[in-house]
Amino acid sequence: MILKKTKKYYPSRQRLTLPTKPGVSGKPVVLSPKSKISDYCEKGTSDNLTVVFKDLGPQVLYSTLFFFEYLGPLVLYPLFYYLPLYKYFGYDDTNRTIHPVQTYAMYYWCLHYSKRILETFFVHRFSHATSPLSNVFRNCLYYWTFGAYIAYYVNHPLYTPVSETQWKIGFAFGLLCQVSNLYCHIILRNLRSPSGNGGYQIPKGFLFNIVTCANYTTEIYQWLGFNIATQTVAGYVFLVVATAIMTNWAMGKHRRLRKLFDGKEGRPKYPRRWVILPPFF
Amino acid sequence: MASFFSTVKRIYLAIYNWAVFTGWIQVLIFAIKALNESGPAAVYDAVEKPLQLAQTAAILEIIHGLIGLVRSPVSATLPQIGSRLFVTWGILHSFPETRTHILVSSLVISWSLTEIIRYSFFGMKEALGFTPSWLLWLRYSTFLLLYPTGITSEVGLIYIALPFIKASEKFCFRMPNKWNFSFDYYFASLAVLGIYVPGSPHMYTYMLGQRKKALSKLKAA
Repeated sequence: MILKKTKKYYPSRQRLTLPTKPGVSGKPVVLSPKSKISDYCEKGTSDNLTVVFKDLGPQVLYSTLFFFEYLGPLVLYPLFYYLPLYKYFGYDDTNRTIHPVQTYAMYYWCLHYSKRILETFFVHRFSHATSPLSNVFRNCLYYWTFGAYIAYYVNHPLYTPVSETQWKIGFAFGLLCQVSNLYCHIILRNLRSPSGNGGYQIPKGFLFNIVTCANYTTEIYQWLGFNIATQTVAGYVFLVVATAIMTNWAMGKHRRLRKLFDGKEGRPKYPRRWVILPPFF
Repeated sequence: MASFFSTVKRIYLAIYNWAVFTGWIQVLIFAIKALNESGPAAVYDAVEKPLQLAQTAAILEIIHGLIGLVRSPVSATLPQIGSRLFVTWGILHSFPETRTHILVSSLVISWSLTEIIRYSFFGMKEALGFTPSWLLWLRYSTFLLLYPTGITSEVGLIYIALPFIKASEKFCFRMPNKWNFSFDYYFASLAVLGIYVPGSPHMYTYMLGQRKKALSKLKAA
């Protein structure tokens, strides 16, 4: 309806809420596109309803956002591996030897980001269809900058590899975690029905029985495997930052689930679990 | 108990602000004296000690914000203090070749004028509980000119230092090493220059917003 009046505000950009009652705290109630307006009217009053309109800004599909975030690292990293870029940084890379670990690192990295892109289109079910456009710039800056930063060091002509045992263990552990991570994503997908109800359920099965955000856990440990194998300060910095971000998300998710599944009114009680990183929390 | 702490806090902040205020007054006076007597090339040597002291003391402000002693968001103070410390220690102190440039004069005058107004503003608030409206007006209006002159001086000085930074290898850590880590001060300085591009409009529009809020409160009062 609003679209008819203003072409600019297409539906995913609109957020309609009930006006917050003065003195009532907490987030305003968002009108669901699945309900009817009449559902929100108080019984016995007229058919008129006041709603508050908020413009969420230009939106993109989540899948679009993820695709561009992941495309950067996928393309940038091999550039550092294959092309003689280091001469622009002042290094002579005409006679460089490429260590086996550097080749495997490149395959591992590209596998990881290809997996992420495929999951975006074939596995994930998003609770919101869209995300603000500004997030594209912010997220791409994060992923692309870190991707180039790590790729620069691992493929450097003066790179010092670790022992063969160490990188073999690192990559093997990382691969194991990547497979586990994929399985976690599939479990999460099956929690949401295709009609897009998108409600919260208690995750269970596999590692979810002991960790709320097992998908983040496997992702963090997967990067740890990569770093054990490649040993760069750049890689470890990325690991720390990514862990901090995911821990932040995990705490929010865990809190939400505990609040929702409080054991009252017939709802199941959320079981005691690690939040994200056993044995730390 | 609570009011005891809040009194101690007030006394501490009053002393802090007026002390740093005095430092910046010194900087301004020495700078003008040097300009009068010898010219721009002599300004740095005249102001070096009080400048380094007053500017470095600002680190305390980050701590004040972190422990909740003051309300200023760390996100606003950290970039400003960071860039000031970078220019003071990382450029002027470390690369003496930059000290005679005329931008040092514009830098020192922009910084000291801004800080004199800012510290007396906060000093009055803590000590007397209020600030006179003309001081409020100064605090929220002089930035309109002094931010551009200060930022231009900072960026200009970093820029002219670049060839000296590249040649000197100072603060650089090279590969190969076990942790595959390197640090190149020249690239880091370029990155800092890059941050000024989005950072400066961000700071300026933040202050414009603060100005609107502060001056409208003044009108309403």
